[in-house]
Amino acid sequence: MSETVQLVGLDFGITTSSAVVASARLHRAAPTGRVELREVRERYRSPLVLTPLDADDHLDLPRLEAHLDAWLAAGDVRPAEVFGGGALLTGLTAKQANAAALVSLVRRRLGGALIATADDPCLESWLAFLGSCGGLSRAHPHQLILNLDIGGGTTNLALGKAGEVLRTGCLFVGARHIQVGPGGYRLVKLSRQARALLDHLGVRKGPGDWLTVAEVEAVLAFYLGLLQAAAAGEPGPFEAAVARLHEQVPFRLPAGVGDLAVTFSGGVGELIYAHLQGQPWPPTTHFGDLGIDLARRLVGSPAWSGHLRRFQLASAGRATVYGLLRHSTEVSGSTLFLPRPEVLPLVDVPILGSLGPASSAEQVRNLVGLVRCSARGGCLRVAVGGQGAEAVRGLGATIARALRETSFPADRPLVLLVQENLGKVLGHYVTQWGALPVEVVVIDEVTLRDAQYAHLGAPRGPVVPVSFYGLNEQGDVP
Amino acid sequence: VRELPPLAAIAVPEPKPDPLYTAPCFDREITFRGLKRLLGAADYSKAGDRHAGLAAAGETEREAARAALSGLTLQHLYDHPLTDDEGKVDSVMRVNYDIDRATFASVAGLTLGELKDHLLRAPGEEVARLGRGLTGVMAAALAKLCDVHELILVARKVTRTSRARTLLGAPGTLSSRLQPNSPTDDPRCITLLCYWGLSLGAGDALLGLNPAVDTVENVSAMLRLLDRVRRHTGAPTQVCVLAHVKTQLACLERGAPVEVLFQSLAGTEKTNLSEFDITVDLLDHGYRTMAAKGPLRGVAEQFMYFETGQGSEVSYGKHNGIDMTTTEALCYGLARRYDPFMVNNVTGFIGPETHLDSFEMILANLQDHFMGKLLGLPMGMAPCYTLHSNITLEGQQIATQLLAAAGANYYMDVALNTDRMLAYFDTSGHDDQTLREVQGRLPAPEFLEWGLGRGIFARDGRGAVVRGPHWGDPRQFCEPEAEFGELLAATPAAYGFESAGPRPSNAVSRQVRMNQGVGREAIHAELRVEELQRVAPFRLVETEAHSKEAHLASPDRGARLAAQSLAWLAPEHRPVQILISDGLSAEAVHHNVKDLLPVLLDGLAGRGIETGQPLLARYGRVKLAEPLAERLDADLVVHLIGERPGGDALASRSLSAYLVYRLTDVEAQRAAARFSGHAGIRFEYTVISNIYAGGLPPAEAAGVIVERVADILAAKAAGNRLEAVDRRNGPARGRREVEAAGR
Repeated sequence: MSETVQLVGLDFGITTSSAVVASARLHRAAPTGRVELREVRERYRSPLVLTPLDADDHLDLPRLEAHLDAWLAAGDVRPAEVFGGGALLTGLTAKQANAAALVSLVRRRLGGALIATADDPCLESWLAFLGSCGGLSRAHPHQLILNLDIGGGTTNLALGKAGEVLRTGCLFVGARHIQVGPGGYRLVKLSRQARALLDHLGVRKGPGDWLTVAEVEAVLAFYLGLLQAAAAGEPGPFEAAVARLHEQVPFRLPAGVGDLAVTFSGGVGELIYAHLQGQPWPPTTHFGDLGIDLARRLVGSPAWSGHLRRFQLASAGRATVYGLLRHSTEVSGSTLFLPRPEVLPLVDVPILGSLGPASSAEQVRNLVGLVRCSARGGCLRVAVGGQGAEAVRGLGATIARALRETSFPADRPLVLLVQENLGKVLGHYVTQWGALPVEVVVIDEVTLRDAQYAHLGAPRGPVVPVSFYGLNEQGDVP
Repeated sequence: VRELPPLAAIAVPEPKPDPLYTAPCFDREITFRGLKRLLGAADYSKAGDRHAGLAAAGETEREAARAALSGLTLQHLYDHPLTDDEGKVDSVMRVNYDIDRATFASVAGLTLGELKDHLLRAPGEEVARLGRGLTGVMAAALAKLCDVHELILVARKVTRTSRARTLLGAPGTLSSRLQPNSPTDDPRCITLLCYWGLSLGAGDALLGLNPAVDTVENVSAMLRLLDRVRRHTGAPTQVCVLAHVKTQLACLERGAPVEVLFQSLAGTEKTNLSEFDITVDLLDHGYRTMAAKGPLRGVAEQFMYFETGQGSEVSYGKHNGIDMTTTEALCYGLARRYDPFMVNNVTGFIGPETHLDSFEMILANLQDHFMGKLLGLPMGMAPCYTLHSNITLEGQQIATQLLAAAGANYYMDVALNTDRMLAYFDTSGHDDQTLREVQGRLPAPEFLEWGLGRGIFARDGRGAVVRGPHWGDPRQFCEPEAEFGELLAATPAAYGFESAGPRPSNAVSRQVRMNQGVGREAIHAELRVEELQRVAPFRLVETEAHSKEAHLASPDRGARLAAQSLAWLAPEHRPVQILISDGLSAEAVHHNVKDLLPVLLDGLAGRGIETGQPLLARYGRVKLAEPLAERLDADLVVHLIGERPGGDALASRSLSAYLVYRLTDVEAQRAAARFSGHAGIRFEYTVISNIYAGGLPPAEAAGVIVERVADILAAKAAGNRLEAVDRRNGPARGRREVEAAGR
């Protein structure tokens, strides 16, 4: 097979928003027979626009809608051809009161083609890693890499190896917690965290006041201290109340990880690498925040400078949107159990639990019961491990029995997400080779992510696009 | 551009009855009927000739044949053209008579023995001149009289250059064709293999890809990919995708960069027509089209590329009673018509049915090189092997050293010797550099300059060319570095880039060799019947191959049921039977059947499809399913059989499922005949391949097979016809493993 599809990435950050549209080919890849997205070619890249806010500092939805429509038109996006990608409201944008309305807007425009979600910091960290240094990580498969995606509101941390994200976290450390007038340090606006930080530093100032150089330095030192503690795996600095306030998702570097390389992405990361490549720093507080100062401090810090020169990233500034574009959607295996392809797409399907050959009949019955009670149906993660046909046979029979015992409704989707390439055979055993009238879908060869929801797109040839959101990953570090 | 004489204008003597040739042999005389028989007997004994009954029974008979051959004049050979099975001169033989008549006349009266002595005494220019007056049969006859030193000595005297962007074959050079094959035409894998080869100083002859899929769309895309790599790296070379000539001409029409036009050749018209789908007219058309429209016109002096190799005619059973060396020489006589840029010899590729061991392969390669050079061709050599022959890497390496001594123009660069698509083993870029260093050779001059500029090569203090600081480092072509990781992830069998001198590092070599070892053991392993009986109570059937040796050497024996099995098997009238056989990897059976068969039996029973007790055959080939289906009166046989191992250890355990549908239904047979264009068609095949832990896992494969079997029985069609039915009507309900057959 070789079908051309579209991918769309939409990133709505607190400072800037942007879109990237790409074409790709679904192609049967390596000798394993896996179908992969190949020849991903960027077809359209929107300009970075300042995320429009209204007089109340909420997202200015009409202007965002205009931007979105302009991007989709310029990118020649045809929703029916969109295979995957995602729209993400990142960092502080996700905290806006009308964030959900923006998510709804994207869903109205692009239907079931891609995930649209807000306030998903671990997903954001994961995507930023893959979008910025995923290739670098694969090229150095033995090197642990910690990526810090520093944007306007948050620093999304992701630790990865050989192109796989192992652990994620998120700090409220970013350029835009303290907004100032461009060219100086006259305060314009403070976030909740920034106000608490200034209080902690004994700085009793608010909008209209000028920060002194020493006060700016103190703020930056606090930020660098948190970043450094996270990168060094030191929990101590996070015990202070003000530090805890800056911690959205704790990131705990495991002990004894050895040689760790650090990379940066996000707006601050882009400033750092541009400077290292010889570009002059923008004028003082040019963007009306402390992003340039933060970048300068990181470059000047002996603790970071070695890391900065070790690996330099090419597209650090748009890491999240590239991550969305290329990594938020997985391609399933090509031997699925999908007796009625028209049942797809299935969007926002809750993931209700995990099972495997070791699960007891009662555990399986309970999980199947949970899906039965969900009006939208539900997903169960299945890990067969290295066990053979006998295990699949047994597990299939156990699930079939649970379906019978719970009088599982014939029209309620039960989606089994299987890591191994065993979807078809498991589905056959679950349905007793077609004897059991249930709406079972088995999607295989997908990574079983610790997420709250799955999104299954419409089938393309033999494969199905699968995305996860509501990520909550804290994996093991080898 | 050469003016191609019409076939009818090439004079060939009328065929004559077979003469008798007699040679004294101490106390007796040995007689040979006909020139074909004499030529066959005069050759070194090789498996293909033995199977075809053409080889001498022993050394005495061989020497008697050589003695008789030595006494024949060139005029005699000229006067006795070898005919096809119908007694006619075929088009390949006719083209072979397109010789320089004046040159021929100057030596027509010499015996072959006298001509051989003359060639050994003569300077290179004289050898080169005389070659243009000889037919392929004459060159083959000479080759059979030469020992190893003579094959090398005469060939080395002759320089046959050709020019496109690079000049190949100049004295002191040793070039290479980079062959970046990918099992699925993955552009990342192909790109990395190109970068790697170029970094090793390989690829000055060609970036030449064997495509996995021979369609105009895919071949055009691959040509453009190679062209992008060429431009990106700046390497002075040319690109080619080795699809069928018709496909390439269609690509050229669409503007794809068909810089060099490729085609495989055989030495008989019958093989060319029915197996390679080519005629002399088609090749003429290709040549003229390239001359008029080829993108390198005005730059290249030659633009055709042919691949040949001893044994294709024998293996297809279309050799007209002519031995392998002679049919190979006839290929050269055909190739010569088009003044090619490259001729690549791949003797060893087919398997033990043509060349059993290293000795046969080495001698055949030396003969081929001698004949090709003598007849005027710019010969490149690809001594190679498959794991089911007894040829080893050491034998292959000996062949390359001898051929380099003989002055072959170029070799292949197949990364780490392992072709990732064709499951065979050939010369690597490391080998090419080793040969250059051992034999004191350099790449083509234009390429050398480029390599010096990139630091792939350098000059030492005395001005000698040595490996440069960037030799062997494919990362030099990757911008940004992250791209390299993407390419590497898509490239199978890339065990490492570390080198030791011109060789791969020991760690890398050990992994390559271990994988070959595993593959070879898988082929030579015997089926462990007792162990398999614990999976299911099999019925044992036997084939006509009674030993592993016979099985590997004679593919047709494993496709026939032995008489004793035919005697006890009787019609059972069940729709489906299951047959398991070792094929070329018993290990594939051992590793997969345990998980596959129980699920398959469950699934067929669950679908209400009746099956017989499974059958197990030792030394079976794919087509064994046909006589079995007929004997048991089954509609369909699921034949699970071990695939030919390649370079990847895990893939050595790869099983295929052939779903062999018997066309007993009259309507279905008519439809199949219409679809295939083959009126007598009796079976259709659907294949599900790549069944192993790293590909399609066996339990999952069973689920796929069950659905396919149900589809075939419902549609009364299999193979491409079933796919066409699916495209027309939509796939049967419940089936989502689209394209399984293409895996």
